[in-house]
Amino acid sequence: MAASPLASRVGLGLRAPHLDEVASTRPAVGWWEVHAENHLGGGPARRRLEAIRRDYPISVHGVGLSLGSVDGPDARHLERVRRLVVWLDPALVSEHLSWSIAGGAYLNHLLPLPYTEESLALLCRNVEIAQAALGRRLLVENPSSYLRFRHSPIAEPDFLAELARRAGCGLLCDVNNIYVSAQNLGLDAPAYVDAIPPAAVGEIHLAGHARNDAEGRTILIDDHGSRVGEPVWELYRRALERLGRVPTLVEWDTDIPALAVLIDEAGRAERHAGLDGEGDAHAA
Amino acid sequence: MLTLRELQAEFRRALLEGVDGEPASALGAAIVADGLSAEARLGIYRHHVLTTLTATLAGTYPVVIRLVGDGFFAYAADAFVRRHPPGGPCLFEYGAGFAEFLASFPPCHDLVYLPDVARLEWAMHAALHAEDAHAIDLVRLGETSAEAIATVTLRLDPSLTLLCSPWPVDRIWRANQPDAEAEATVDLRAGSVCLEVRRLGDEVIWRTLPPAEHAFRAALAAADTLERAAHLALAVDSGFDLVGAIHAVFAEGLVTGVEASS
Repeated sequence: MAASPLASRVGLGLRAPHLDEVASTRPAVGWWEVHAENHLGGGPARRRLEAIRRDYPISVHGVGLSLGSVDGPDARHLERVRRLVVWLDPALVSEHLSWSIAGGAYLNHLLPLPYTEESLALLCRNVEIAQAALGRRLLVENPSSYLRFRHSPIAEPDFLAELARRAGCGLLCDVNNIYVSAQNLGLDAPAYVDAIPPAAVGEIHLAGHARNDAEGRTILIDDHGSRVGEPVWELYRRALERLGRVPTLVEWDTDIPALAVLIDEAGRAERHAGLDGEGDAHAA
Repeated sequence: MLTLRELQAEFRRALLEGVDGEPASALGAAIVADGLSAEARLGIYRHHVLTTLTATLAGTYPVVIRLVGDGFFAYAADAFVRRHPPGGPCLFEYGAGFAEFLASFPPCHDLVYLPDVARLEWAMHAALHAEDAHAIDLVRLGETSAEAIATVTLRLDPSLTLLCSPWPVDRIWRANQPDAEAEATVDLRAGSVCLEVRRLGDEVIWRTLPPAEHAFRAALAAADTLERAAHLALAVDSGFDLVGAIHAVFAEGLVTGVEASS
C-alpha cells in the first residue's frame, strides 16, 4: 500500500474516559482511532469528537458490522456507520474477520468462523456490501481466538490474503491477536506474520493481554487491559521488517489508565518502530 | 457437518442458554479440543458476552445496584441479558427494557418502586446519548393559520422523557447518590411524582412537574395535537394555563419542529 501519512506517528484508541481531556488539552498524539459504535449518538461524546477531529487525523474502527454473519451486515447499522464516515472523513476504516449477530441478537464478541470456502464466499459478499455502502476500502482485522473448528481447512492468514484479493479490501494486522491466538490454538506466530501479504496491510494494532487459567492450562485473554507484552513487541518488530512502514495503533479498553500511560505506550511503540523524533505531532 | 447458519445459531444458543461445565452438543463436536475441552473454550466466549453486557447495564443503572446490591444485580442482569440480548451493536442503546424485566422478575417482586427507579435511570442515560437537535422559536407557531393551530403537532427535543410514578422515585434517586447522607431515608408513602428528564448542553437534568403540565407535555411528546394535549391537561386540572404552557415549552427550548396534522 502507498505510505500513509499516519505512518510517521503511532496512534491511540480514543475512549470515553479520555474524551474531555483530549478535547481540552490536545496532547501530542499522532492520530486517534474511535470505535464506530461508540459515536453513533449525540450529546457530549459527539461534541468532543467534533472538536478532536479538527486537530487530528481520525481512524474509524467498527466492531458491529458482523461481516461474518450469514444474514449479512444490517442495512440500518451500515447506514449509520456510513453517516459517521461522511462526518469524520477518516483516514482509515476497519472492521473484523468475525461475526457477532445471529438471529437478530448482538452477542458483543468477535466470534470465530470456520475457514472454509463457504465462509470465504460469505465474507467476500459482505465486505463488498460494506465497501459499496461506505464508499471506502475496508481494512479487515484478524481476530484473537479461543477455539478453532475441526472443519477449517484454510489457514487464517491464507484466508485473509484470499479475502483481500477477491473482495479488494485491505488488512489490519493485530499483532497481539496473532500472539494470543497462536498461544491458545498452538499455532506458529512468526510463521503467521510471514504468511500475511504485505501489500494488503494498511494498519497494525498493538494491545496488552491477560493470562488466565482454564482446566490447568494457561489461556491468553485479549482484554486490552495492560501494557503490550514483551513477546508481542518482538512479533511487532518482525511484522515491521516484513510489512514496512505501516500506521500502528495502541489499544487499551479495560482498566483504562491515565492518558499519560497511553501516550507513554505509544512512545514505546514509536521507539520499537524507529520513529523517535520523526514526524510532527498534530497538536502540542 | 453443520452449515455456517446452523453453526452460528448453535453458537448463539451456547452463549445465551448454556452454563459452564455443560456438555456441548453438535457445536462441541465441531470444535477442536486439544489441551482444553470444547465446553471450556465456549465458556471463555460466554463469560465475555455475559460479563461485558452486565457491565454495560451496571453503568446505566447505578441506583438500582445501590438498592439491590452487587450480587443480586449481577444475577438479575445475567437473566436479562440471556433473555433479552442486544438487538444491535450500539451498546449505549442497550438496556431500555430492563425496567419492564425487573417488573416481571419474581425475585424482586417486593421492591415495588424498583422498575420506576430503573425507568428514571434509563431516561437519564438515553438523554445523555440522544441526537442533538435545534430548538425553534415560538414565532414558528405563529406561521400556522388560526384554523390549523389546534391540530398541529410539536416535535420535541429527542433527549426528553416524561415519566410518572406512584412512588417518590425522585427522593429514592437522590438518597442513593454517592454524596447522599448515609442516614437518608425515604418515606414510600410520600406519594406519586411526575418527572421531566432532558439534556441541557452536556448535562442531564430532571425536575418534577405539576401533573397537568406533565400531562400536556407527555401528550405533545406522544405526537398528540395541541388541542388534544390541552384537553388532557385540562382534564387533570381545570385551571391549567394553556397559553402559559405553550409559551413555556418554546421558551425552554423543548420544541424542535411544528408539523401540520395530516
